[in-house]
Amino acid sequence: MSFLLFGGPVVLLVSLSIAVSVGAVAVPAGTVWGILANKLSPRLVEQTWSHGREAIVWNIRFPRAILAMMVGAGLAIVGASLQAVTRNPLADPHLLGISSGGAFGAIFALLHSGLFLGVLTVPLMAFIGALTATLIVLGVSRLADASSADRLVLAGVAVSFIIMAAANGLIFLGDPRASHTVVFWMLGGLGLAQWDHLIYPLVILILCGAWLTLRTIQLNAMTIGDETAATLGIAVARFRLIVFVIGALITGVMVAFSGIIGFVGLMVPHIARMLVGGDYTRVLPVSALVGAIFLLWADIAARTVIAPEDMPIGIVTGIVGGAFFVWLLGRRSL
Amino acid sequence: MKSIILTSLLLSLSAGLASAETSVQSCNRTVTFDAPPERAVSNDVNLTEMMLVLGLTDHMVGYTGINGWNKLDAEMREGVAALPELSERYPSKEVLVGADADFFFAGWNYGMKVGGEVTPETLEPFGIQVYELTESCTHIMDKDRASIEDMYADLTNLGAIFDVEERAAALIEGYKADLASFTDSLQTGKPLRAFVYDSGEDAPFTAGLYAMPTALIEAAGGTNVMNRFEKSWGTVTWEEVVEQNPEVIVIVNYGEVTAEQKREFMMSNPAFAEIDAIKNDRFVTLEYVEATPGPRNIQAIKTLAEAFWEN
Repeated sequence: MSFLLFGGPVVLLVSLSIAVSVGAVAVPAGTVWGILANKLSPRLVEQTWSHGREAIVWNIRFPRAILAMMVGAGLAIVGASLQAVTRNPLADPHLLGISSGGAFGAIFALLHSGLFLGVLTVPLMAFIGALTATLIVLGVSRLADASSADRLVLAGVAVSFIIMAAANGLIFLGDPRASHTVVFWMLGGLGLAQWDHLIYPLVILILCGAWLTLRTIQLNAMTIGDETAATLGIAVARFRLIVFVIGALITGVMVAFSGIIGFVGLMVPHIARMLVGGDYTRVLPVSALVGAIFLLWADIAARTVIAPEDMPIGIVTGIVGGAFFVWLLGRRSL
Repeated sequence: MKSIILTSLLLSLSAGLASAETSVQSCNRTVTFDAPPERAVSNDVNLTEMMLVLGLTDHMVGYTGINGWNKLDAEMREGVAALPELSERYPSKEVLVGADADFFFAGWNYGMKVGGEVTPETLEPFGIQVYELTESCTHIMDKDRASIEDMYADLTNLGAIFDVEERAAALIEGYKADLASFTDSLQTGKPLRAFVYDSGEDAPFTAGLYAMPTALIEAAGGTNVMNRFEKSWGTVTWEEVVEQNPEVIVIVNYGEVTAEQKREFMMSNPAFAEIDAIKNDRFVTLEYVEATPGPRNIQAIKTLAEAFWEN
């Protein structure tokens, strides 16, 4: 565990520096470090590079890398929390209808409403869609009395299917030549990252992440069972729903800026549990760390495998996620 | 006396500076250029060709979005020989900034995606100005149906941006004269019903009211049977095609499936056997670069007219 405590952040920083150094355009490592040093302390290093190079490193790659870390960490801790409260190892942020709501909002903005608020239209509509879907799932779970673990998952899946069908309807009714715009959004990508947008995922991640971190004891209790948790004084149904809403907030803001990136929320908690065991006081922070590192590397792969093209990051996480699950099946226990 | 000279000098200087600034309308934005761009990038064959016919290759640093989907024909390959292809498909921000570009000539679904990574708004902080292809404006605002005037407008605006207005005006005059003399000598009749077949077997992908082929067909004396389809390009049903009974089918040629294969598909399907165009085997092929807005539209109209009215 102490290895992770020190080694983890080191790996994260190394990954970050690699992410900022590689990409479609070859920028020498010396230039990258010069640019970063100059940002910390102006004119520290003599400027031997063009403004274009500086813009690439500081305004394109750096915000993108930071967004990768936030999305990776966010999706991972949501996955871990949902897996705890639903006691379902396949629970993931996209399972409970949140992402299909986000997709609906984004598709509506991309194909039908036009960008009436400029660059922030799609993220805002996606976030509203995600929250609306969350409210629908909460409504359904209340009407169907589905606040137990399995029934909540079922309610989420059902709502997810319905919303996705509506979203697909929007795609069909929209301009077909523009449908690849939607496909790209749904496959996930970090290309829209820019400095002044990063504040939104950051604030929500810090606030909701802190809330979850303060409740790791309750999360532990939930993994054992509803009855056990109840005897420990936890209002089980209510706690489950609150965790769901917190998860929806994080997922909503992440999906708003990066599209639907699958498998991170599903796999990373399992990896974390393999590394540090089942105690959520460790699983939660380790999931965040591993999620951030994983998505940084997935983004590096997405930007370099078919350079100068930018592969949607969902393809990378899908391949790795699928392979991971094949491997997981080979193990005895899940 | 001195002050008068000084003042008039200053006035003429500022007038000179003011006239160096050009403003053009790009879809719903007004874009102002202090000087002609020196490091331009264009996306897709037809837009790149517009840059070529205006003789702007020494203002360009590259092009994008061609070899991923289409192949350059011999004529174009010669024109862009000195320029690198920066990206086989749509470029990313990094590719454009990495080329130190200051100008990007593209269109919606011709290099830019609505709400995507590369748009006039996202490129502005990097000092890259964008001029959008007029035909593609339908994706972000209300626009009239497509017409050859869209292409002339693009050439005129590019002429203004790059300070080659006379060249652009001369080209447009030439095209108009060419077209006029051609259509004058043409024996046309009632507008011929034409259907544009781009691709698709279970459902046909065709050009609607807002796409260039509709304008080309009309200029050639025909009418697009799908011109009530209020979209740019889109998918309709075969039933609609059979119902409209076109007299000639215009195939758009590009990509993996050949024009011959598309003709084969239509000729061999028994559901289409009663369509006039199939009964009389009337097909005409347009290359992708001819069917999308660009200088080759003139040749496209001639090709269509010759096929419609072969006397």
